[in-house]
Amino acid sequence: MEEPVDTPGAILTSAVALLRERTFEDITYLDLAEATAVSERTIYRRFPTRSHLLEALARWIEAERFPLAEFGTPEQFRDAVRDRFRRYCAEPAYAFVAARGAALSPTTEASASPLTATIVRMLDEAAPTLNRRDKQRIAAAARYFASPIFWARMRAGFDMNADETFDAFDRALSQVLATTPELSWAT
Amino acid sequence: MLESDPVAELTSTQKAILTAYSELIDEVGTDDVSFRLIAARAGIGERTVFRYYATRVDLLLATSAWIEGTIFARQDSESIFDVPLAIREAMEAYDRRPELAHVVAETAMRGVNGSEPAPQRHRFDALLRNEVPSLDAPERRQLVAALCHLDSSTTWVTMRRELGMSGRDIADAAMWTAEALLDPIRDRTAR
Repeated sequence: MEEPVDTPGAILTSAVALLRERTFEDITYLDLAEATAVSERTIYRRFPTRSHLLEALARWIEAERFPLAEFGTPEQFRDAVRDRFRRYCAEPAYAFVAARGAALSPTTEASASPLTATIVRMLDEAAPTLNRRDKQRIAAAARYFASPIFWARMRAGFDMNADETFDAFDRALSQVLATTPELSWAT
Repeated sequence: MLESDPVAELTSTQKAILTAYSELIDEVGTDDVSFRLIAARAGIGERTVFRYYATRVDLLLATSAWIEGTIFARQDSESIFDVPLAIREAMEAYDRRPELAHVVAETAMRGVNGSEPAPQRHRFDALLRNEVPSLDAPERRQLVAALCHLDSSTTWVTMRRELGMSGRDIADAAMWTAEALLDPIRDRTAR
């Protein structure tokens, strides 16, 4: 069998399509091989374990299904997060895979997600003189409460919809930013 | 606590299986371990493993609950204002056993088919009702949810993976965030 040009992309596209009808656990490598028209060996070569597959699938879904709106201020950051939580609620099967992939032991040396980089840049611009320790704390908290993991926990553990999840995020973010009241964002 | 303790009700054979599997996850660095290997480590037959845990998912979820209840067991907080300290200790525990922290994190993100994503929910809620009765229900729900989110292995995983933070920095950031969440109610405890 001849391999498509972007084999990993083609395999992940098949996996996303299969997720519409069954859970990740119920998708076998044979199903993926048939759906992609490649051999099962090709799938194993690209994704040696199911963890590799799940992690790559989560990244693919985040990039393709839930693209991040650009933001540069805390206000734009809030809007971007509200929009993502709504998209997650519209496609929960995909969002849970994104959350699971983000919780796995990393199988590659992939760099941080675009969301992390954008949050760090936003803080550097909004608070150039803030000490390193507090900046790291704020970045870590903002990133963690904006994650698909937060959405998944609010939905499965607290039965929250997108707007309730956003309100919980917003409240946490406001408390974290309020620790530096001298900065304009604390209002 | 109202819930029954899942760890206390296990047979010695089950405990041997769960111990064997968690040791192997820690050693091999993945939960992708064969039933044959788990049975051999537990010193029992493979069929016995299947009798207790019919599928891989059943075994993984039971092992995840076992790891949380034994290796990552928390000391009960007597006050909601002790929770940030418990969160710091939990982060230090996750940092000592990274592979196990990842397994616990991933199984909690499976929705209805996974492990409990907010196991401390009822405890935190009860503490807040008792200590800060003036807090209204929506506010209490948000605070409980946010503290449950922090008191989790996914905190350690995300801060390590996304921000490249050390165990010490993660313990600091998680505790600091929990303190920030409690700021509005510090001076509102019942007399």
